[in-house]
Amino acid sequence: MTQDEIFEKVRQQLVDALSVDEDEVTPQARLQADLNAESIDFLDIVFRLEREFGIKIDRNELFPESIFQGDPDFVQDGKVTPKGIEELMRRMPYADLSAFAKDPQFDKIGDLFTVDLIVRYVKSKLG
Amino acid sequence: MLLKDQVAIVTGGSRGIGRAIVRALAREGARVAFVYKGSEPAARELEAEVAAAGGLAKAHQGDVADPEAARRIVAGVLADWGRVDILVNNAGVIRDGLFVRMEPDAWRQVLSTNLDGAFYFCRAVADQMVFKQRSGRIVNVSSVAAEHANPGQTNYAASKGAVNAFTRALAVEVGGRGVTVNAVAPGFVETDMTEAVRNKAGELIKKAIPLKRLGRPEDVAGVVVFLCSPAAAYITGQVITVDGGLSLGAVVA
Repeated sequence: MTQDEIFEKVRQQLVDALSVDEDEVTPQARLQADLNAESIDFLDIVFRLEREFGIKIDRNELFPESIFQGDPDFVQDGKVTPKGIEELMRRMPYADLSAFAKDPQFDKIGDLFTVDLIVRYVKSKLG
Repeated sequence: MLLKDQVAIVTGGSRGIGRAIVRALAREGARVAFVYKGSEPAARELEAEVAAAGGLAKAHQGDVADPEAARRIVAGVLADWGRVDILVNNAGVIRDGLFVRMEPDAWRQVLSTNLDGAFYFCRAVADQMVFKQRSGRIVNVSSVAAEHANPGQTNYAASKGAVNAFTRALAVEVGGRGVTVNAVAPGFVETDMTEAVRNKAGELIKKAIPLKRLGRPEDVAGVVVFLCSPAAAYITGQVITVDGGLSLGAVVA
């Protein structure tokens, strides 16, 4: 499956899960900030991706719950430490963290969860 | 037929209020799976009765206090009929007694059946209703005892008060995906559960009820059907009292 084909399918699932319009689902769209996804929506999305692509997604794989949980090794003064960035890279090897690494505000982690992230994740799972 | 071809699960369906609910849902066209624990003859009788009336009801044995039973039964219903539109958590028990002599197991049994049972069954249908269908109706059978306290029922009252709060909290979580969650709170209804009290104080109780009669299982079933019907689409998180006015607390001279 090509990246474009994956994107089309992911977009349809997000339209259904989040009740948004197709044209709102751009690759850069952030699930929370732009598409108003809530916790229950993340579960719905995981569910749908599993069914759509026939993959198995572990509980903490795509949308790791409570990243770092206030661990001082990973988060200090509201910023993600270099160790924290390393940990993020380990958990989300399919993600592009270069922009985030330049200004790693902890409360901006949610912005990492974009449509493009999902597409990359699915591509990596379909290998 | 308000519920044509919908699939319903009713716990505690072989007797009492549950039996009336099974009949009422089947009469409205629903395919009804009901759960019984020990009353197999009553369960078989109900299946036959519903079939004779042109409906469909299937008995599933299980103890609602066992989380595995809920998973197994819901999986069975999905295998049979492919969907779950309605869940009525009706199974309930009493273990009345003075609090100052109440043993832990009397507390535990009532909480497990009345509260945990509702949790297990709601949890077992959640993925289907909330994610796969984005539609569903959950009705929990509570009791006026939650708010209108009687001596000897600390465990029962606690379990039903918790059911009411659970109803509200669940309603806010799943409302965005087309699932409504409500409760009915019956007053004094003529079933096996109230037989002992009715024998002792039936006439006295009737005097305290503005509508001057005890409730019948059908009185409660009618409200359950309403909550499952299109007419109740905008109602969620509510506890509807069905008690002939008992809990209004009128003192009749």
